[in-house]
Amino acid sequence: MKLITKFLLIYLLVSLIVLSIAGVLSYYIIKGEIDKELQWEFLDRIDRVTYLMEEGKTFDANEVNSDENLIIKPLNEYRKNDIRIADTLIWDHRLEQEERNVKVSAYRNIGDTTYYISTYGNMIESDDITEAVVTILLWILGMQVIGALGIGYFVSGPLFKPFRNTLKRIQNFKLNEKEYLKAEPTNVSEFNDLNIFVEEMTKKAVSDYKNLKEFAENASHELQTPLAIAKGKLELLAETDLSAEQFKYVENLERTVKKLSRLSESLALLTKIENHEFENSQEVNLSGMIKESIDSFREFTDLHELHIDTDIADGVVINIHPVLADILWTNLYQNAIRHNIENGSIRIVLTDDTLSISNTGKDLDFDPELLFERFKKGDQNSNSIGLGLSIINRICDQAGFSISYTTEKGWHSIQITLKSVKTG
Amino acid sequence: MKLLIVEDNADLLDNILTYLKREGYLCETAQNYDEAFDKIMSYTYDVVLIDIMIPGGNGLQVLRELKSVNPETGTIIISAKNSLDDKVQGLELGADDYLTKPFQLAELQARIKAVNRRNNLGGTEIVRVNEISINTKTMEVTADDTPVDLTPKEYELLVYFASNKNHVLSKQTIAEHLWGDYVDHLDNLDFVYQHIKNLRKKLVNAGAQNYIESVYSIGYKLNTTPKTA
Repeated sequence: MKLITKFLLIYLLVSLIVLSIAGVLSYYIIKGEIDKELQWEFLDRIDRVTYLMEEGKTFDANEVNSDENLIIKPLNEYRKNDIRIADTLIWDHRLEQEERNVKVSAYRNIGDTTYYISTYGNMIESDDITEAVVTILLWILGMQVIGALGIGYFVSGPLFKPFRNTLKRIQNFKLNEKEYLKAEPTNVSEFNDLNIFVEEMTKKAVSDYKNLKEFAENASHELQTPLAIAKGKLELLAETDLSAEQFKYVENLERTVKKLSRLSESLALLTKIENHEFENSQEVNLSGMIKESIDSFREFTDLHELHIDTDIADGVVINIHPVLADILWTNLYQNAIRHNIENGSIRIVLTDDTLSISNTGKDLDFDPELLFERFKKGDQNSNSIGLGLSIINRICDQAGFSISYTTEKGWHSIQITLKSVKTG
Repeated sequence: MKLLIVEDNADLLDNILTYLKREGYLCETAQNYDEAFDKIMSYTYDVVLIDIMIPGGNGLQVLRELKSVNPETGTIIISAKNSLDDKVQGLELGADDYLTKPFQLAELQARIKAVNRRNNLGGTEIVRVNEISINTKTMEVTADDTPVDLTPKEYELLVYFASNKNHVLSKQTIAEHLWGDYVDHLDNLDFVYQHIKNLRKKLVNAGAQNYIESVYSIGYKLNTTPKTA
């Protein structure tokens, strides 16, 4: 929900509660004022009737009956002068309902007779008061809604425009474009603060990113020259007159140097992928690539007598940087060969939306998904550098594929949900 | 063969010189851009090795200058960056080959010989190892005029050995040369032995001597003067 919508809803809810209370209060205040006014009038009327009767005027029955609201009755017993004010329900013929009326009754002694004089009536029906109060409040509420909508339009429009601009620029901000977000001046100081903060933050992020990237790449490149020297020296050493034992050490060292160089290359690659340096995706025919690669690796799969079982749909095309596609598949396939057993099997299934590769292998004693982490290996002593699956995982992330790793009864399966491009 | 090696790192330069001098090559060196520029402008070479990152300038610029004065010179770029962009740019500028650090000296020597064959000898050079001759253009191998029928991998293996006569080549080196990155993740290099065994058998069957010696069963060496049993 938008901030402004939420704000307006709260505003209207509070208005509604306040107006309801105001309505009840208004009703009772108005009603009270009117009743008080009526009582004064009725008391005055009784006083006038009493005055007339003391002056000798008699009210005959006909005269009294014509005024429904006046009752004059002589009593047989003596009562001292008294006034009572009460509410009473009177049947209203016109409205056909009982109406609450004010009734003022008095006992008056005129001559030696005690009279009961009572008068009642109402100036405004309570329904009318309710109706008036509700009408007024609805008008106020209506105007508040219109006001709220106006404020909402203004706030979400011109007032918050700089904020929305900033938000949009942050959303479109990409670290690898190396452009920081320059603050745009606005006349709202909070937005100005925000823009300046965003500018400083992105400036810092861009420079940190640049440093980190340079460091990762340089570190990897700087390593290659000393490794080249070490490798060369080992080759020269191997040419000298060495004993079998010495030669074995040299050969061992050569492998280690090779591993080091692969390690730094893989780390550099991982950094490059994470820094989104492979952004230009193209349409890559995965079916063709997989088939070719199975042929290229035939020698190695034959060596371990692996049985390759394939079900590859033709013309599966995905959108990815071609280098990444190659690295992704080669890593997957090499993993399946490398972590296999003698006389094992590899099963490759490619459809329009999934690529799954399974191989026979040793069971793991931990969650296979952990292998996606850097340097996590099934067998810590193996010659593998432990970055293959991290690289696969990163590539899938970047291409928007989801990946899962499961093991069951000696089978390891990696399943990738592809976003294939339909070609007509 | 006359070589110029443009490389700023003294240790690496020393490795390359030591290895190549045994072949009797005439090697000159340049350790920075100005020195390299001066040498390519003053002399001609058969093959020039150029490191991309050198003090005082860029190796690609040296390549550009060289191609403008002596386009027929064979060139090999050496780079610490395994970057596709650099590779493409280098080859577009006319480099004959591109080698990424860390490389094998044996590999470098094989590439130098291949570049030299292509550029300076019209690609028709017959490589000889005593009675074995390898026609690098038609890829035909004969032993005392008896043709030897080799698979592409066996042929490559033989050329590699012939390019590094009397040098010890470890299984790792051979595997990297023949299969490149494919073997990166493989622990078991027994397939190298399979190929060597087949090559050896085919050569001996064709009447050649057994030149390929095993060195403590870890490496191999093409010995041009085998101890005949």
